[in-house]
Amino acid sequence: MLPNFSYIRVKSLQEAVEASQGGGTHILAGGTDLLGCLRDQIFSADQIVSITRLSALKGISQTSDGGLRIGALTTITEIAESPVIKQLFPGLARAASEVASPALRNRGTVGGNLCQKPRCWYYRGEFRCLRKGGDTCYALGGENQYHGIFGSDYKCCIVHPSDIAPMLMALGASVKVTGPRGSRNVPIENFFVLPKDDVRRETVLGSGEIVEEILVPKPPDGLRTSYRKVRVRLAWDFAVVGLALALVFKGDKVELGSMVLGGTAPIPWRSKSAEHVIIGHRLDAKISLKAAETSVKDAQPLEHNAYKVSLLRAIVEEELNKLAQG
Amino acid sequence: MKDQDESLYYVGDFPVPESPEPGQEPKPWGKTRVIGKPIPRVDAYERVSGAAVYTSDVTFSDILYGVVLGSPYANAKVRSIDVASALKMPGVHAILTGSTKGADLVWPYVWGKDKAKLFDPHCRYEGDLIAGVCAETPYQAWDSARAIKVDYEVLPFVSDERKALDPKSKAVEAPDKRVAKTEKYERGNLEKGFAEADIVLETEYRTECQIQTPIEPHGCVAKWDGDHLTLWHSTQGVFYIQQQVAEVLGIPLSKVRVIGRYMGGGFGSKLEAGKYTIVAALLAKMTGRPVKLLLSREETFLVTGNRPPSNMKLKAGVKKDGTLTALHFTVLGTGGAYESGGISLTDWLVRDLYTCPNVMCESTEVLINAGLTCPFRAPGHPQGAWALEQMMDSLSEKIGMDPVEFRLKNIPSFSQARQGNPPYTTTGLKECLEQGAKAFGWEEARKKTAQQDKDNPVRSGVGMGACLWFVGGGGPPSTIVLKLFADGSANLNMGASDLGTGTKTIMAMVVSEELGIKPDKIQVENADTGSTQFATRSGGSKTIPTESPAVRAAAIDVKRQLFQIAAEELKVPASNLALQNGEIIPNADQSKKVKLNKLEALKKRGVIIGIGYRGPNPEKKWVNPFAAQFCEVKVDTRTGEVRIVRFFAAHDSGRVMNRLTYDNQVIGGITMGIGLAMTEMRVLDHNETGKVVSRNWHDYKLPTALDVPWEIVSIAIDPNDTEANTTGAKGLGEPVTIPTAAAIANAVYNATGIRITNTPINPLQLSRLMAEHKTRR
Repeated sequence: MLPNFSYIRVKSLQEAVEASQGGGTHILAGGTDLLGCLRDQIFSADQIVSITRLSALKGISQTSDGGLRIGALTTITEIAESPVIKQLFPGLARAASEVASPALRNRGTVGGNLCQKPRCWYYRGEFRCLRKGGDTCYALGGENQYHGIFGSDYKCCIVHPSDIAPMLMALGASVKVTGPRGSRNVPIENFFVLPKDDVRRETVLGSGEIVEEILVPKPPDGLRTSYRKVRVRLAWDFAVVGLALALVFKGDKVELGSMVLGGTAPIPWRSKSAEHVIIGHRLDAKISLKAAETSVKDAQPLEHNAYKVSLLRAIVEEELNKLAQG
Repeated sequence: MKDQDESLYYVGDFPVPESPEPGQEPKPWGKTRVIGKPIPRVDAYERVSGAAVYTSDVTFSDILYGVVLGSPYANAKVRSIDVASALKMPGVHAILTGSTKGADLVWPYVWGKDKAKLFDPHCRYEGDLIAGVCAETPYQAWDSARAIKVDYEVLPFVSDERKALDPKSKAVEAPDKRVAKTEKYERGNLEKGFAEADIVLETEYRTECQIQTPIEPHGCVAKWDGDHLTLWHSTQGVFYIQQQVAEVLGIPLSKVRVIGRYMGGGFGSKLEAGKYTIVAALLAKMTGRPVKLLLSREETFLVTGNRPPSNMKLKAGVKKDGTLTALHFTVLGTGGAYESGGISLTDWLVRDLYTCPNVMCESTEVLINAGLTCPFRAPGHPQGAWALEQMMDSLSEKIGMDPVEFRLKNIPSFSQARQGNPPYTTTGLKECLEQGAKAFGWEEARKKTAQQDKDNPVRSGVGMGACLWFVGGGGPPSTIVLKLFADGSANLNMGASDLGTGTKTIMAMVVSEELGIKPDKIQVENADTGSTQFATRSGGSKTIPTESPAVRAAAIDVKRQLFQIAAEELKVPASNLALQNGEIIPNADQSKKVKLNKLEALKKRGVIIGIGYRGPNPEKKWVNPFAAQFCEVKVDTRTGEVRIVRFFAAHDSGRVMNRLTYDNQVIGGITMGIGLAMTEMRVLDHNETGKVVSRNWHDYKLPTALDVPWEIVSIAIDPNDTEANTTGAKGLGEPVTIPTAAAIANAVYNATGIRITNTPINPLQLSRLMAEHKTRR
């Protein structure tokens, strides 16, 4: 059923890093994704390194510069319910609260959420697709109703499954990664890998590198955040489309802003062209509509997912109008 | 004394009904004391605590675990199978393939004149049986199955029934093997009917394939004692499994015992044995050890049945006064790779729900390379209702008549589609429509939605649908054995399965009603071919109307014998005795009354055994349940997100036997209807492989608790049916899911003006339709 693997539960991050070098090692945090992948033979494993006892990687704290540090082992529930997150970044709490189901939120961790594997039903099924080392993407010409409209480059049209990642990207967060050569900070914007760069990888994590924590910069004055998710059913479902907004208002004008789309591309998809439409303007209905149109301008829908274009346009307009009202 | 009183297990202070003379049918119950009450299940504790032994709980010290290996292709022929290395893997005891001695068995799939085989060398659908493996652990068995080397000749496939008739597309096998079955029904003169109509509408509808996916996967435990096979099987009918297994293995019925006391849901998918059943039996025989074989969740999506997709066209004619003049219905369906009910009953509501003199229904079942269908909760009916009830909605709008009023105008008192037009024993359809509409506040709700703010992007809508269920009256045979013990407790012995609907509880309540014994002092033994009497399968919403009259008869038989022995002991004529509070009371001299557990004769013989048989159904009359459901939705017209706000269900299923299980059926049926309407669909990879891509509970989306409104109101319409059977109960489990999806579609139309002709109503479809609608306007 599961592959034969050795299992280590480490006592320190350093130990985890040392144990994780070499191929065939997978990190166990919440396990909600890893166990399913192993059972479904998505990949094999020689060694499982459990980091569940690393208490230093748990919890949410405010940094000296007013930002937030979220340990990689913090559960999704903790993020959804954290008073400080609710106060500073309500959009992030919202995104976390929309993840999966209560049981999965209690178990799943934020580090695992960023590193999760795609949910494409070909990738997860008995198909030797391009991402699994085969030579074709079955979804491009197949059942692609839940697949992407951006960034596939017609190689692999998965969508990134995370609700939290788009919000973190909109907030300009970064990931502290620790590996054999020490630690480095990777802006979330650079954390994910597009199919055109490497169709077998989802993140830039190198061999032995582990997500240690997520750093969210101090919220600027006038920051308004929101997360909007459309799905087929109200619980235990990934986003059909998602939208993370972090806009900084000065008076009624948008001074800065970032708009990241979920469920639409292999990585959380930042729509800079739509941001340009709103930045520097009063966010009225006309601008919202224009931004909505712009956000889907470069979409490349496949045979069964053209609905995502109109759906995305609709929620961008709706959410911008909502944020404009405060 | 108090202790002794408590040792007597009577319900309360009331006389039990009188016994009829031998050979006479009992009178309908008047006021009931137990029946109809919201009594919790007699086996609730066992189920909730984990004490109930389900098939997966059955174990033995020497048990082995079996798995099946299915074909990974939609259509392939097996050239050769190499099990050599798989057999050598750790823990593996046996591998079974078509070439194993004794495994060359016929399997009852219909394939023209040919019979399919258990291990058919031509696997016409994904998951068809290749091999069976058993090992010390399920994991070892899985690993071994994966190591079996199979050389396949992969063949072209057809996965879309809409393309199966296209001569250019692939056929399942020979090009002439496209159509499995055609059916035609006709009455009156269609042409004349349409000529008489003021309005004629024609619309195409489609429902997607829905999978039963009960929470307990399919499986069994097989154990041989010499030449006698015992099977613990998750099933809706142990006697049917016994029959199938005996037939396939070619052994006498007396050598097969099937036990299925508890099951975790079936919805039709556990009406039959699977190939896995035989694999378990053969592996157990090969190894001389018991074998437990449970399908994986993924396998249940491939090989255990479904509600087939239906492609329907309905043309309807109506006069301005609301008289239906003609209905022309066609359906193209598929039962998968073999003929298996792909069009079964899809047209029944068109034929029989509303008064219409001119009707034609044409049904075509085609073959595709996919898993077979099997009866899924009200087979055919929710699909037919999806078309008919939306058409009724469209017609009522065209003639400017309220949808409820329009239906009220067209209620037949007899079955038009059956030969001789037999009347229904009762039809509560009128009451369902009227009382359902009243409770829902239908007229006011319609007014409110008509007047809602046009600029609000979130729009409200209300919709309704009605139905009948083409059976639901039950019938013979059924034999019940009821034992009354000397302490006044009882044992009820019944062959029928309890699907989880509360059958056992209701039967205990029937005994309680007749004998005054507390339901929890009645032990129900059921669903075991070795120790209970023959019963038909629990399906078709017929278990309560079939079994409850037989249970009542058995209780009456017990009572009659009890009075007889009491009469001898008390020296009073039996006809002068009454039973109350666990006491036998002579009418003439109450001082002579005696407690049941003080009857010397009963103490001595230890038990009174009563036997009850299910009597015949009324002659020349039909017993059908009827219903009307109403719902309110909110639709976000920007995104196509639909929320169901409330559901009201008015059901005529005859007498309410237990109000709690009754209401639970309503909630469950509506939930499943919401699934069909909004979230569920089997997705096949039409492009390259024909494989099922939605084979888990993430990709195959069942509604969650959040998708079901908390406000589901069940309105029980009891027409006091004194003819149907001696308890007056009709079936409920299936009608509850028939009009649900159509009612939702009608509500969405009411909210948006967009007619959703295809399931599922989800943002994928609706956001596209909204965008198109906007452009048109």
